[in-house]
Amino acid sequence: MLLTRKSASAPSAQTRLSRGLAGMLAKTIDRRSFLKRSGVAVGASASLATLAGPFNMIGRAEAASDKSAGGKVEIKRTVCTHCSVGCAIDAVVQNGVWVRHEPVFDSPLNLGAHCAKGAAVREHGVTENSHRLKYPMKLENGKYKRISWDQAINEVGDKLLAIRKESGPDASYWIGSSKHNNEQTYLMCKFVRLFGTNNTDHQARICHSTTVAGVANTWGYGAMTNSYNDMQNAKAIWFMGSNAAEAHPVSMLHVLHAKEAGAKIIVADPRFTRTAAKADHFVRIRSGTDIPVIFGVLYHVFKNGWEDKQYIHDRVYGMEKVKDEVMKWTPERVQEVCGVSEADCYKIAETMAKNRPSSIVWCMGQTQHTIGNAMVRAFCIFQLALGNIGKMGGGANIFRGHDNVQGATDIGPNPDSLPGYYGIIPGAFAHWAKVWNVDLEWLKKQYAAGMMNKPGITVSRWIDGVTEKNELIDQDPNLRAVVFWGHAPNSQTRGKEMVEAMKKLDLLVVIDPYPSATAAMAAMIRKDGVYLLPAATQFETSGSVTASNRSLQWREKVIEPLFEAKPDQTIMYLFAKKFGFADQLVGKKDGKQNIQVVKDEPVIEDITREFNRGTWTIGYTGQSPERLKLHMKHMNTFDVKTLRAKGGPCDGDYFGLPWPCYGTPEMKHPGSPNLYMTERHVMDGGGNFRANFGVEKDGINLLAEDGSHSKGAELTTGYPEFDHVLLKKLGWWDDLTEAEKTAAEGKNWKTDLSGGIQRVVMKVHGCHPFGNAKARAVVWNFPDAIPLHREPLYSPRPDMVDKYPTHDDKKAFWRLPTLFKSVQEKNKNISKEFPLIMTSGRLTEFEGGGEETRSNPWLAELQQDMFVEINPKSANDRGIREGEYVWVKTPTGAQLKVKAMVTERVGADTVFLPFHFSGWWMGKDMLDYYPDGAAPIVRGEAVNTATTYGYDAVTMMQETKTTLCQIEKFQG
Amino acid sequence: MISARKLAVAVAALAVTAGLAGCGETEQVIVYEQGKYQGKPDTRPWENEPGASLYTTSKWAKGDKSSWESALRSRSQNQNEYVRIGD
Amino acid sequence: MARMKFLCDAERCIECNGCVTACKQENEVPWGVNRRRVVTLNDGVPGEKSISVACMHCSDAPCMAVCPVDVFYRTEEGVVLHDKDMCIGCGYCFYACPFGAPQFPQAGAFGMRGKMDKCTFCAGGPEKDNSKEEFAKYGSNRLAQGKLPACAEMCATKALLGGDGDVIADIFRDRALKRGKGAEVWGWSTAYGKPDKAQQPAPKGGKS
Ligand code: SF4
Ligand code: SF4
Ligand code: SF4
Repeated sequence: MLLTRKSASAPSAQTRLSRGLAGMLAKTIDRRSFLKRSGVAVGASASLATLAGPFNMIGRAEAASDKSAGGKVEIKRTVCTHCSVGCAIDAVVQNGVWVRHEPVFDSPLNLGAHCAKGAAVREHGVTENSHRLKYPMKLENGKYKRISWDQAINEVGDKLLAIRKESGPDASYWIGSSKHNNEQTYLMCKFVRLFGTNNTDHQARICHSTTVAGVANTWGYGAMTNSYNDMQNAKAIWFMGSNAAEAHPVSMLHVLHAKEAGAKIIVADPRFTRTAAKADHFVRIRSGTDIPVIFGVLYHVFKNGWEDKQYIHDRVYGMEKVKDEVMKWTPERVQEVCGVSEADCYKIAETMAKNRPSSIVWCMGQTQHTIGNAMVRAFCIFQLALGNIGKMGGGANIFRGHDNVQGATDIGPNPDSLPGYYGIIPGAFAHWAKVWNVDLEWLKKQYAAGMMNKPGITVSRWIDGVTEKNELIDQDPNLRAVVFWGHAPNSQTRGKEMVEAMKKLDLLVVIDPYPSATAAMAAMIRKDGVYLLPAATQFETSGSVTASNRSLQWREKVIEPLFEAKPDQTIMYLFAKKFGFADQLVGKKDGKQNIQVVKDEPVIEDITREFNRGTWTIGYTGQSPERLKLHMKHMNTFDVKTLRAKGGPCDGDYFGLPWPCYGTPEMKHPGSPNLYMTERHVMDGGGNFRANFGVEKDGINLLAEDGSHSKGAELTTGYPEFDHVLLKKLGWWDDLTEAEKTAAEGKNWKTDLSGGIQRVVMKVHGCHPFGNAKARAVVWNFPDAIPLHREPLYSPRPDMVDKYPTHDDKKAFWRLPTLFKSVQEKNKNISKEFPLIMTSGRLTEFEGGGEETRSNPWLAELQQDMFVEINPKSANDRGIREGEYVWVKTPTGAQLKVKAMVTERVGADTVFLPFHFSGWWMGKDMLDYYPDGAAPIVRGEAVNTATTYGYDAVTMMQETKTTLCQIEKFQG
Repeated sequence: MISARKLAVAVAALAVTAGLAGCGETEQVIVYEQGKYQGKPDTRPWENEPGASLYTTSKWAKGDKSSWESALRSRSQNQNEYVRIGD
Repeated sequence: MARMKFLCDAERCIECNGCVTACKQENEVPWGVNRRRVVTLNDGVPGEKSISVACMHCSDAPCMAVCPVDVFYRTEEGVVLHDKDMCIGCGYCFYACPFGAPQFPQAGAFGMRGKMDKCTFCAGGPEKDNSKEEFAKYGSNRLAQGKLPACAEMCATKALLGGDGDVIADIFRDRALKRGKGAEVWGWSTAYGKPDKAQQPAPKGGKS
C-alpha cells in the first residue's frame, strides 16, 4: 500500500531531478523508476510500516540505540557473503543482537566501501519478519509441517541409508555450496567421499568451471592471476563478458581509480552494461562470438608486430600454430560473424598493446557457453601474446562470483577432485586418507565397485541423472535422492525438465538458511518426500573465505544461529553420526583425533589446520588460523596497491596470504598476489608458469627457455616439478632434516606431508616446487587444442551453423550422454520461430538464485519485478510497450510472464533477462508452495525455467548466455 | 555563522522568488537557539561524551567544537582513497 | 567552521544502490520511504550517468521557508532537521524541495500522509542524542558519535562524499584535476549557492 504513495511521488521527483540536470540530457527512462512505478505489494513489511508512531519504524534493534541502556557491546569483524570481492564488515553486537554495521576503512580490499548487498547484510541478524527457514520441515500432503531436528536427521538419514543399500551410494546426489566457508566446503568434500560417491558439485560448475579448466591447462592454476587491487597498476583494462559494475561493484573502486590515473577502459559485450557506461570504448558483439572477436583483435596485434616476441619465445608454447588460426580471422570475417568492425578491433588492439601493462577481465559472459573452455583460452592467448601474464597491472583478472566460490573450487565438493585439485586417482585418495586419518581400505569399501576413480555427475546435469534411460548412463543406478546443501535450483538451466526430475525422486532435501526455490518447486509437484533443514548463515559461524584474488579472510562469528538453524559443520557431523562415519569425518583413529568436536560441532580451526596439512598443490598450507586472524586485525598495515604489509606484525605478508602460500605456516611464505611473476623471488610471492604437462611435446621443449626464471632462482633454465628423485640428483636432498627425509622419501612436492621438499626448493634454492615451464597456447588434450569458433546449439544464424558447426555428440561424458551436433542440427532453422537471442545476467541488488537477497526488504524494495530488456525496435515490431507484461517463449515450450523494459541497452537482435528471480512458474505465483512466512518478498519468473539444452565440451558448463526466444504481448 | 535571524530573512526571500509563500515576514520562521529546539533538547554533537554511544572511534574533547570538527575532518579522509593509496 | 555538505561524483557513481541500503539499514527506514535515491540519466545509452540524491541540507532551504508550522531548523554545522512531533504531513516541503527529498510514509490504512521523513545527514533530530526516542523517530545520530553519514562512508566507489564542505570539495577537486574533467557537480549550486559566493567554495577543476 505504501507503494501506491510512492508510485505517485517518484515520477514527479524524477521530472524535477531531470530538469535540474544541466548539460545532462535525459533521453531515456531508467530502470529504477521503471521498476518503482510497477510497484509490488510487500506483505509483512508494508503492513508493519503502517504501525503507529511518528516514524512508522519497523521497531527492530530495540536492544540497541543507547549504550547506556546497558549490555555488552562487541565488534565482530566479518566479510560480506554476497560476492567474491570480499568486503570487510565490522558488526556491532549488543546483547547478542547485531545492531549496527560499520565500514572497515582499514580493509585494503574495499576500504570501507559496499554495494547495495553488502550495505544491507545486517538484515541477516534481524529476527522480526524474517523470511528465513526457521525450523526443520517436512512435506506432508503437499504442505510443509514443522518437525524436530531429531526426527529430521533420523528420517532423512534412514531414507538415504535405505537408498544406498538398495541402489548403492551413487543413487544419491550432493549439491554443495560456494557459500560455505572453506572449512565447511572442505568438510563437505570429505563427507560425500565418506558416504562413498563422487556425485557432488557446487556453483563453480555453472560459473567458472570452463575458466578453471581452460586456464589451469594453459599455465598452471585455474584462478584469477592478479587482484582487484592490482588493477590500479593497469594502463588499459578490457572487460569482455563481465559486468563488474553490477556483479562486483566494489571492484569498480579500483577500476575507476585506475581510470582516473589514466587507464583506458574497454568493454565488449552484447549489452551496453553499467560497466560499459564507465568505459572509454564500448563494442557491441553478437552473443557467443567471443573467439572471433578476440582473434580479430589479435590479428591486428600480429599484423602490426605488437606481440612480445621475447616473452613468447621464453615462456609460451605453440603461439605460432595459434597465429595461423588467428590470421584467418580477417576483418571481413569478423564483421560477418560477430558484427564487429575492423576499426573497433584495431582500436582495442592498439589500446591494449600501446598501454601495457594491460589487463583483461572476464566472467560468465565467456564461461557459460558450449565452447566456454575455448573462449577463455582465446583470451589467455591474447594476454600471452602481449606478454601481460605475470606482470603487475597485467594478468587475467577472472572475477569469481559467490563469496567463497574460489575456496569451494579449491578445496570443496567437486565431482572430479579431492581438495586441492589432486583429482580422484588412487594416489589422491591415498594422500588424503592419510591426511584425514582414515583407513584407505575402509574408504574404498564405501564406494561402489569401479566408481571411486570415475568423475561424478555435474550439478548442471543432475536432472539427467534422474531422468535419462538407465542403460545410457555410466553408473548403475539412476539418481534417487538429491540434497541441495546451499544451492539454488533456478540457477541451473532447463527448469521445465527439472520439475519432472524432482517429481521422480524418492527424496529431496534442502539444507539452507532459506527454503529456496527448491522448496516451492517441489511442493508444486509433490505431496511428500521433501525435507527442509535450516542452516546457519556465515554470520552465525566462523571460518575462512577465499576472495576472488585468492586472499583468505577470517570471519568471526557475529551472532548465534537464529531460530533453530545449525551451522553446516554441525549438520554434517550429525549426519555422519547417523551414517556411522562420525569418527572418520573428524579423523579419529589410533588414539589421534584431527578435529575436536564440541556439542556436535566440529571445531572450525581444527578443520583449517587439517586442510593446511594436506593442500600442498595450491598452497593452502601456510594460512594457519592464527596468521589469518592476525591479518584481519592489522588490515591497516597493508598497502592497497601491492597488498603487502609494511611493518607491523604481518610485515612482508600479502593480505590474506593469497594462495599459493606454500610450505608450513612456520616457513612464512607471504602468499602470491600476482601469479607467475618472474620479477620476484619465490619467497616474495614470485614464480613462473607451471610444469604440469611434461618436459617436451613432439620434440618441442615445454620448459621455459634459458634465462627465464623467477628472481634469484638457483636453476636459471626451465626445470620440471620437484620430487625426491630430482632433489637427490641435484644434491639438495641433504638440505632436508632427518625427519623431513623420512617423510619425503618416495614423495613429491605435492605429497610430502612434512613440507620439506617445498622448504628446501624455495627457501634454500629459490626455485619453484612446481617447476618452470612454458604456458600452452595449444592445449592438446582439449577437444579444440587451438580455440575454434563454434556456433551455439541454438543459433540465430543457420548460415553460420553451416560454417562453424558444433562438436559431435558424446556418449559417456561425466557419466551421461551429452548432445551437441544432433541438437544443433535439429534446431538449425528454429530462429524463424524464435528469432531473438536470449541472454541473462546479474543485477546489483541480488545474488545468485536470489532467494536470500529477495528476502531482504532493504534490497527487495529496489528491484520488485522480473523484467526483460528489449530494444525499442523489437518492442515496436511486436506492439509491446514499456512496463507491460509479455510472454517470453523458448523452444523448450516454456513461457515466462515478465515485464517489458524497452531500452537500447540491448541491440535489436537480443533480449536480456536477469537470473535472480524465482517464485513464479510460467505465469503463476508460487507463494502457496513456500512454507508459511518463508517466501521471499519479491518473486518473479526464473529465466532458467525457459533455458535450453547445451553444455561445454570439457566441463559440462551450461549454456545460458546464448539461446533463442520469441516475445509476445501478454493477453489475459 | 549566520545568525538565525539573517538566515530567516534569506529563506523568506527565496520563498518569494519561488512563488510558494506570499510574504517575507520573518515571524514565519522560528527563532532557533542552537542546541535546543522549541524547548526540546537537541544536544550539539560535540557536547556528547565521545564514546558515550555505540562504537565511537573518533576522539574529541567534550564540549570542544573545534576538536570535534577536526576529528570529523580526519575521518572524512576515509572517503578519499588517494590518502591511503597514494597516486 | 564545518558546514556539512553532500557531493556526488557522476564519473564514479555506478548506480549500485549501496548508499541507499546503507541508509535503510543504518536508520531502519521502512519500506516505501527513501531518504536517498539513485537517479540515472540516459539509461542504457552512451552518456549514461547516475547520481545519488538525498536532502542536500541547502544553505537557504526552501522546505524551511514553506513549512506552515515551522518544523524545520538548521543546526550549527549546517544540517537541516525537522521536528516530527509538530509535522502535520501537509507535503508543502515536498513541492518546494528541488531534490524531492521529503518522504511521506503512509500513516494509516486510508492513505493519510504520515509525518514527513527525510535524510538527517545522520544527525538524528530534536531528542536526546543517541536516545531510543531519537532513533525511533529520526534514525541514527552518527555526527554525535564522531562519524559521518553511513551512505557516504559506505559508497562503493567513493562517488558520494559527505562531510565538511571544504574537505569534500578538496577531495573532489583533486580527483577532477587528476582526470582532467567532470568538475561540474550536479546540485551543488542549487543547494549551496553559486561557486563564486563567499564562504561557499564549490569545487573547481578542469572545465568547471
Ligand atoms: S556483494 Fe561484493 S562488492 Fe558488494 S559489498 Fe559484498 S563483497 Fe562487496
Ligand atoms: S546522511 Fe544518513 S540519513 Fe541522510 S541519506 Fe545518508 S544515510 Fe540516509
Ligand atoms: S553507493 Fe556510491 S556508487 Fe553506489 S549508487 Fe550510491 S553513490 Fe553511486
